[in-house]
Amino acid sequence: MFEELLEDIAQKNGLREVNTHIKLAAGLGAILLCLLSSSYIPPLFIAIVLTGAILSLARVDAKTYGALFIVPLWFAILSVAGIILITGGPDPFWKWDILPWFSLSITRESINQGVFVFCRVLGGMSAMLFISLTTPMTDIFTVFREFRIPNTVIDLMMIIYRTIFILMDQVVQVYHSQVMRLGYSTWRESLHSFASLCGAAFIASWDAGEDLIRAMDARCYDGKFALLGESRPIERMPCITLGIFLLLSAAVVIVAGTTTIL
Amino acid sequence: MSSIILEARDVHYRYPRGMEAICGISFHIRKGEKIALVGPNGAGKSTLLKMFNGMIRPDSGLMLFDNQPIGYDTASLRMLRKRVGFVLQNPDRQIIAPTVYQDVAFGPTNLGYSEPKVKEVVSKVLRHVGLEGFERRPPHQLSGGEKKRVAIAGVLSMDPDVLVLDEPTSGLDPSGSEDIMELLDELNQEGKTIIISTHNVELAYPWADRAMLMLGGTILEEDIPEVAFGNPEYVRRAHLSLPTLLELHGELQKRGFNLEGKKPRTVLDMMQCIETIVRNTRSPVQPGTITICNVDKANQEDVSGWVSLHPKVSVGAMGTRAKQHAENCRIKLDFTYGVIDKCILKTLLGEDTLIMTTESMVKRVTQRVDAYCQESGIRIMVNHLGTVPEPAKEGEEGMP
Repeated sequence: MFEELLEDIAQKNGLREVNTHIKLAAGLGAILLCLLSSSYIPPLFIAIVLTGAILSLARVDAKTYGALFIVPLWFAILSVAGIILITGGPDPFWKWDILPWFSLSITRESINQGVFVFCRVLGGMSAMLFISLTTPMTDIFTVFREFRIPNTVIDLMMIIYRTIFILMDQVVQVYHSQVMRLGYSTWRESLHSFASLCGAAFIASWDAGEDLIRAMDARCYDGKFALLGESRPIERMPCITLGIFLLLSAAVVIVAGTTTIL
Repeated sequence: MSSIILEARDVHYRYPRGMEAICGISFHIRKGEKIALVGPNGAGKSTLLKMFNGMIRPDSGLMLFDNQPIGYDTASLRMLRKRVGFVLQNPDRQIIAPTVYQDVAFGPTNLGYSEPKVKEVVSKVLRHVGLEGFERRPPHQLSGGEKKRVAIAGVLSMDPDVLVLDEPTSGLDPSGSEDIMELLDELNQEGKTIIISTHNVELAYPWADRAMLMLGGTILEEDIPEVAFGNPEYVRRAHLSLPTLLELHGELQKRGFNLEGKKPRTVLDMMQCIETIVRNTRSPVQPGTITICNVDKANQEDVSGWVSLHPKVSVGAMGTRAKQHAENCRIKLDFTYGVIDKCILKTLLGEDTLIMTTESMVKRVTQRVDAYCQESGIRIMVNHLGTVPEPAKEGEEGMP
């Protein structure tokens, strides 16, 4: 059911030791440039570079990366198809008047628009995956604290983060025990099983909450959560790489201007 | 005899809408003792343990810590919980923070230590439990034994006087259990009082200074393990099993063998019993020597060098740090648990052994060997590996 979590990949990736700020700057910078660009080329360029980085630098398994990419890719393909068919233009390549007041057409503008949106999705997706595959949540908490996000919020996030895995474990156990006793063999049965799975998860989380308070009390809880260990130093090589990547992408944005595919 | 640190006077406790969990228990625990609470499920072990750090308040009766009645206001409870560390049975429930570092730092941070101090404490404690380099790992990726160590480290970081552990070895594999018991021994050696609850008679029997057999919210028997586990009637009533060694000893006695001295706690004791029986029929062997290597002082080359010079020596390592050291030196370990006794057994066969261990346990090794020599009348030589190079260095300086 849950073979490998994104978080587990992130904890083991090849860029784990690189300073968090650099990785976040690369990811967020890439997203920003994707949004600023008005041509399809820069997002495509960013997607290719970041995918390369994920596969070769972070050493994420290509199959895993592909599987992660494919789900949103389907959404993108479907919505881009919609955009291409609905967006109008002066000289259509193909036109179909379904109803008097509604027609589907493929035009130069619509194809340009569709390709542009699709490439933006690719760029944004790879940037998001770059962040989530190279930066574990635990490191992001540190950055949150540096950016003065209220401690209460961060503490809550950390407790939730920790609890998710405990709850997940329990849910998996219950799920397996249901599957082993043919809990999902029929439609009716699966409805029933799923409901009791949710119930069990709720009770488990309630229990875990009470235990959490007890565990914190037993260790002199005084409203303070431990500060996080220091983050890694900013090294020269990653910094230069980041600079080159952002400058190059920005240059591509400027040079590409408003180039369209057709 | 050391002073009393924890005491219960006629303690009663009833769960809300439930049966009475603790029905009139009185006992005391002295500083530096190793206590095992043993009993079947539902005997009230966990409930009693939770009273030690004020998580459960008795309905009647008195709990005393350091000869002062336990106060149940927030400030007193904080003080108590700093001094009485509690390790829950399920480490998943105890580990709160998203990384090992943060979890171990939880207690010290809440006690208001400064950040450098917290950092220092955490790295010291993680070193102690053998989890160096685990600082940034998230707990859900650790193995059961590692999680248990994190849970213990989280409590140790507050430097408690008393360590209370509910079922410390549940869910661990045999060698993991031995590791944890060894760690507890090491902590005890540093002066901490340790109280555990367990079902595992074989584990508690050689380890504990005193055992308390519990049943139905009362203490059935409280004595040194040989006596507490020695009564088959009590052991049966408490749904436990007789420790194998005690059983064997009893059977030998029933068969008319005259076994003098105290009952055996370890295989070594048992061997001595048997040897006294067969002594006359066998020619005595000249015992080998035991060499102790203090891994905190010795450097890797010295140890590897020594081992390659003595290829026939059996090597044992006590404690995770010693085991890591051995691994770094590429030394193949013959013994990883019950090391001292196994090494004495080897020397009795006329072979030499090397024990790798940490600073705090060196004394314990010599004590154990001395005690055995005194009891058995056999002389075993103990050398120290770490101290060998030092006089040599002085010699070098002395001849300019």
